[in-house]
Amino acid sequence: MKTEDLLCISLDIGEKMLISGAEISRVEDSLCRILTAYDMQRADIFTITSSIVATVTDREGRTITQTRRIQKYSTDFERLDALNALSRHICATTPPLAEIRKLLSEVERKRCYPLWIQCGAYALIAGAFAVFFGGTLVDGAVAALLGIGLRLLTYTIYQTKVNMVFANVTASFLLCAAAFLCAYAFPSIQADKIIIGNIMLLIPGIAMTNAIRDIISGDIMAGILRFCEALVLAVAIAAGYILASLLMGELLK
Amino acid sequence: MIYVLQILTAFLGSLGFSVLFNLRRSKLWIAALGGAIAWIIYLALGIVLTGDAVRYFFAASLVTVYAEVFARIKKTPTTSFLVSGIIPLVPGSALYNTMKFALNGDWSAFGETAIYTLQLALAIATGIMLISSFISVLTAISQRFRNRFFP
Repeated sequence: MKTEDLLCISLDIGEKMLISGAEISRVEDSLCRILTAYDMQRADIFTITSSIVATVTDREGRTITQTRRIQKYSTDFERLDALNALSRHICATTPPLAEIRKLLSEVERKRCYPLWIQCGAYALIAGAFAVFFGGTLVDGAVAALLGIGLRLLTYTIYQTKVNMVFANVTASFLLCAAAFLCAYAFPSIQADKIIIGNIMLLIPGIAMTNAIRDIISGDIMAGILRFCEALVLAVAIAAGYILASLLMGELLK
Repeated sequence: MIYVLQILTAFLGSLGFSVLFNLRRSKLWIAALGGAIAWIIYLALGIVLTGDAVRYFFAASLVTVYAEVFARIKKTPTTSFLVSGIIPLVPGSALYNTMKFALNGDWSAFGETAIYTLQLALAIATGIMLISSFISVLTAISQRFRNRFFP
């Protein structure tokens, strides 16, 4: 077994964990355990939200470093769970690398829910929170419809690979503009509640929670990075809202 | 009645997020129930406490306990249940009001709501922090105990 290959495949696991939404400490801990399970003399892992650096020293005294750059996340706890179980399995039984590759490709084959179910989830969330924050059932229904539109929009934006800030400004702008239009056409609808329901979908809540968890477990750097990312996205959402209401305020006088 | 509606919608909202985070089978329902529980705790605390931040703090702490317990039962990372459970506590409405006041140039109201939003966010963060740190200490102690007496 070559140390390079071992390091490469462990980094594959770490990278997938981080993308699926694992905390920094989980990634570092799992990699460290896997590498020491294969009798490495020493393993140093450094992880922040956008990169993993791992250096191992094997029994023959050779030192190897590999890094990974993480561009994009997509939270998927089912996959994270499977990866977690896989890394435990590897530590307990230290299988040959070919077997790890096979198991990893099985994990890779796990799919997320199809787009129409995701649209349904967006509608459910937007509708539920519009009512939760004091809207009527009609507000909830309109928010749910806009939620479906929002999912289709974010899906399209995601395919075009533009940056996150621009994507959030656009999504927030179109969403708020649509809500103001609905309220203009049907005065009984409260635009505020519809926007709040849909904003819950855009707010980087998971990034915030993870940032806090990272900071507690001592990964201050990664935590602060994630926190800043979340803050920038929040400002982007606010910018979209402000643009939309300035524009609509002028148009719908 | 309004409370029942809120608890129901909190449940549905958390359920939606659990679907987006690709949780499956029993885990999906546990995560969604976490959201409902978070809001029930928040409402129940209203009987004895008046400050919103304090209620958010205790609600967040208890949901963290819930998430940690079920993560151990289901042998899955805590994050899966924690993130969905916290969702109803996310101060979306306060954040929206802050934006609105900024837009209208009502700066004194803006300052007030901005601080209020921050307070809630901090209360949630502290709640999670406190319980997670406490549980990691507990795990360390129990592991040491096990190593010592049942090597």
